[in-house]
Amino acid sequence: MGESIIAFLDAWSPLDIVLIAQNFDRFLWGALVTLQLTVISLVVGGLMSIPLAIIRSGNNPFLNAPVWAFTYLFRGTPLLVQTYLIYYGLGQFEWIRQTVVWDPILSQAWWCALIAFSLNTAAYTTELLRGAIETTHKGEVEAAKACGLGKWMRLRRIILPSAFRRALPAYSNEVIFMLHGSVVASTITIQDLLGVGRWLNGRYYLAYEGFITAAVMYLIIVLLVSRGFRLWESHWLKHLYPRDAVAVEPKKGAASIRI
Amino acid sequence: MSEVDGESGGESGSEQAALEVVDLHKSFGNVEVIRGVSLSAHKGDVISILGASGSGKSTFLRCINLLEIPTAGDVYVAGEKIRMKNGKAGTYVPEDIHQVERLRARLGMVFQSFNLWSHMTVIENVIEAPIHVLKIPRAQAIEEAEALMHKVGIYDRKDYYPAQLSGGQQQRVAIARGLAMNPEVMLFDEPTSALDPELVGEVLKVMRDLAEEGRTMLVVTHEMSFARDVSSSVVFLHKGMIEEQGAPQQMFKDPNSDRFRQFLSRTMQ
Repeated sequence: MGESIIAFLDAWSPLDIVLIAQNFDRFLWGALVTLQLTVISLVVGGLMSIPLAIIRSGNNPFLNAPVWAFTYLFRGTPLLVQTYLIYYGLGQFEWIRQTVVWDPILSQAWWCALIAFSLNTAAYTTELLRGAIETTHKGEVEAAKACGLGKWMRLRRIILPSAFRRALPAYSNEVIFMLHGSVVASTITIQDLLGVGRWLNGRYYLAYEGFITAAVMYLIIVLLVSRGFRLWESHWLKHLYPRDAVAVEPKKGAASIRI
Repeated sequence: MSEVDGESGGESGSEQAALEVVDLHKSFGNVEVIRGVSLSAHKGDVISILGASGSGKSTFLRCINLLEIPTAGDVYVAGEKIRMKNGKAGTYVPEDIHQVERLRARLGMVFQSFNLWSHMTVIENVIEAPIHVLKIPRAQAIEEAEALMHKVGIYDRKDYYPAQLSGGQQQRVAIARGLAMNPEVMLFDEPTSALDPELVGEVLKVMRDLAEEGRTMLVVTHEMSFARDVSSSVVFLHKGMIEEQGAPQQMFKDPNSDRFRQFLSRTMQ
């Protein structure tokens, strides 16, 4: 039975399914590397972006200018160039190779990719969050002032919770861009999802098999990500829905959980 | 009763004023919109501030809790003066922002456009400042908030978000939010101006109830019937100055100034 299926596929399938199946564990590992790089850089970059966005939406020129320069630089150049500069560029400097961060970190492709990705997504997320912070309803901030909430309390309790929610739909795009951008890792020797596709192509001279498999797996990840965001949005953005959609039967207690 | 009191600052007479404003000025650029307004509110006073649009009445109210920084003048909350100093380039700035925040917490404010925190439910809006400014334990804050929500008739909507409420309901939540701080004075900045006509009544009713129970209130309003029937005194602002003030019965029946007479004839048709 099994053999006849293989024989059938061999004869009729335009793709070498058997070859894909034989190397499928490599693709799974590649997907894992892709997810690892994407998720860690999103977390690191996301955490960086919060203070940076606060600085950018403030009016201290001494703090604002360097952050502006950072976001301009990282949003103005391709991720591939940034990754090359860190991976190939930094090693040129003798003194960098002497520092303690060289051996376990900067000499490793994985770490270089992670640093480049984190800085890149930090720059984009900073500007995205800055926009959300600056479009916070002025009246809501005034109401917070009028209640005696101090500057940090206003930020922590009113401005940021409101800005995060409004930034969520745009941020889901950033997550997908970062996932797609992570293919850059495959150009600096990392066996991520695309890297495995490239390896298969290099080894067997079969382009479709590797790249289509990688493409399908990227699609599946994107599908899961956007599903996740939709669920997330329906929870965190329910205060934006029109009255009729919810007012008929408000969820008991659902809202008072997170304060 | 309110009275003009330019000299004695925080100590006016035997009873201490809940709120006292002395010779307040406010300019935007070269335009002076408040030109020396003084006013004091004692406990239980309900003072309506009337005036044509552009007369500076909202700006005056916003200067009291420093949402606008006055250009000159003093504000006393329960006898405590908000300390101001001269900043850079001749500006007038608060000396201690923490003092400002502490005194703001003693002045409840209700805005024309409600300004509820849209990502919080009704009850979250009401307990926010008591928990995070007054540091009241959460359980106690919820208990007090529920009593207030019953009072303004919004309890059955306590888990709704502001966007899911009508304007009148939102404004009643905003009033509950202000009351939750148990303020010395409630400031109302045209609380019914953004409402559909049929929703004005429910908000005014809540405000009447508050007046009856002896809340000290400063109300910038266009609601003539409220000013006449509910307030204990009326202040009429014209071009940033007090044109006329006094007891509502007397002012509405027999205005002294021509301007207030004209204002009444335009608005009371």
